[in-house]
Amino acid sequence: MAEPILEVKDVAKYFGGVRALDGVTLSVQKGGLIGLIGPNGSGKTTLFNVITGFYVPTRGEVWFEGERIDGLNPNEVYLKGIVRTFQIPRLFPSLTVLENVLLTPPNQIGEKPLYAVLRSRWEKQEKELAKKAVKLLRRFGLGRYIHANVSELSAAHIKLLETIRGLMTNAKLYLLDEPAAGVAYDMAKEMFSFVKRLRDEEGLTFFIIEHRLEVLMEFVDYVYVLHNGKLLAEGKPDEVVQNKAVIEAYLGG
Amino acid sequence: MEFLINFIISWLPIFAIYGILSISLNLEIGYTGMANFGKVAFYAIGAYLSAALTMSVMLSLVGKSVPLYSIEAVQALSTPGTGAIYTHPAAYVGLFVLSLVLAFIVAGVVGYFITYPTLRVGPAFLGITVLAFGEMFRVFMRNYEPLGSTKGLFGLNNPFIWIGNPQLSQGLFALVSLALLLAIYIYAERFVNSPLGRTLRAIKDDEVAALCLGKHVPRVKATVFFIASGMAGVAGVLWTFYQGSVQPDTFVPILTFYVWAMVILGGMGNNLGALLGAAVFTLVDRVLTFAAGMMGPSLIIPPNYLRWMIVGIVIVLVLLFRPEGIRPAKPIKTPAWEAVKEVSEGG
Repeated sequence: MAEPILEVKDVAKYFGGVRALDGVTLSVQKGGLIGLIGPNGSGKTTLFNVITGFYVPTRGEVWFEGERIDGLNPNEVYLKGIVRTFQIPRLFPSLTVLENVLLTPPNQIGEKPLYAVLRSRWEKQEKELAKKAVKLLRRFGLGRYIHANVSELSAAHIKLLETIRGLMTNAKLYLLDEPAAGVAYDMAKEMFSFVKRLRDEEGLTFFIIEHRLEVLMEFVDYVYVLHNGKLLAEGKPDEVVQNKAVIEAYLGG
Repeated sequence: MEFLINFIISWLPIFAIYGILSISLNLEIGYTGMANFGKVAFYAIGAYLSAALTMSVMLSLVGKSVPLYSIEAVQALSTPGTGAIYTHPAAYVGLFVLSLVLAFIVAGVVGYFITYPTLRVGPAFLGITVLAFGEMFRVFMRNYEPLGSTKGLFGLNNPFIWIGNPQLSQGLFALVSLALLLAIYIYAERFVNSPLGRTLRAIKDDEVAALCLGKHVPRVKATVFFIASGMAGVAGVLWTFYQGSVQPDTFVPILTFYVWAMVILGGMGNNLGALLGAAVFTLVDRVLTFAAGMMGPSLIIPPNYLRWMIVGIVIVLVLLFRPEGIRPAKPIKTPAWEAVKEVSEGG
């Protein structure tokens, strides 16, 4: 088994009396395609928020590549190499598709206030990044939309764009929050086979929240099940779907 | 002809002042999405700083140690021919330039430190904090005797007044103001048409998503606030030297909203639009002032009311027919476009 890239150790997050997370321990292996499932309100998105720095856990630790990252700000977590997508995609509507991609590389020279007005300082880097971005967009079939506004993209393309723009950086871990929600079944399958392709070709690691188990289970190597803020079960997809506790949690509520 | 020249000379500095203010507000609200309801505070800081600095240094040059607000100070500084601003032209112009630099830095630093803590909590807090700060500054100045309390400071004039020919000196000042406006406009254009400008738009669209892409949102915002507040400080210096005096009650909150009206009229997120908005409003204002001067008491409606009525009507009309302003927001331009073209042509 490969070494873990992400380790969540006994993480708890309380909101007043609500225990959104209550001692969750799990790990994501490097190069894995890991699922995170659970009924509504089981704490999946809260866990993502803790990992990406939106919440400071009430208790417990989060480790990424041997470094403790809980308590860091979201922008610092991103700089460590964790990319996150949202349940409702958050692209920037006043920017074009290309600009949405160009936004991702961290610490660009032209982003420094003193250099921004000195075009010669950052022109070369900007052009290189733009070329890289165009190649990336073409590789994933978005070449036609380079100068389009993001509002012209289909729901599936928006999700695709939100994920692939992370490839502009050397991000290693992708946290996808319901990539298949609101997308037709065929598109959802396409989305996942593309995620699998990225994992195989680029050696990236994916940790995915998904409600559409029929799609998810086909692709992932390992699944964690959350219920009421606690880890209910874990294992290979076919083991988990047969787990009685899991079926009860999903059906019984 | 003579009349037209006089008109333009008296209008240009006002246009430059408001042009700078609206470009600076546009950087905040149009590009970054920060609602600054206290623009006037930084304008006032620039105005007071330049008046206090220039007057005290000029007075010490002629060996007078009197309070800045005293009648002796006014006489020592601005008695035509023998006052300090006539006898020490190099120092006077030098202090004007120094004021511009210092006002930028001081107003900018104040802006940075006032906003940095509030930026994390949300846009409304920022707007209210600076609005309150502006009023506090005005009320403080009304009661601060060393800087003239309610009467303010008098005794300055156009930085080129020593030339003697009023039209020439005013014309020179108009040109200098215009040059400053142009420089700030070019700076702002370059600033927003850069990777940083892209980040600003992203922050305006969705702060949380920008944060998730590794952008240090509070720092970026505070930096924009520093630059924009510094620009407002520069406008304040121009005002002091245009008016020759500063009074606390010039810096009322409505002035901020006057600048807002210019930006809304011109087009948010478009620097040229901001300039156009400033041009239209200041022109209407000047024309009214001139017309009122000529027509005198025969006007049924006092020009001050007429001004605000026109402002209101213009805003309503713009929002009805051109909700995005005269010049809608412009997409940012970086060399990325050229690179894309190269790739496309290369296959």
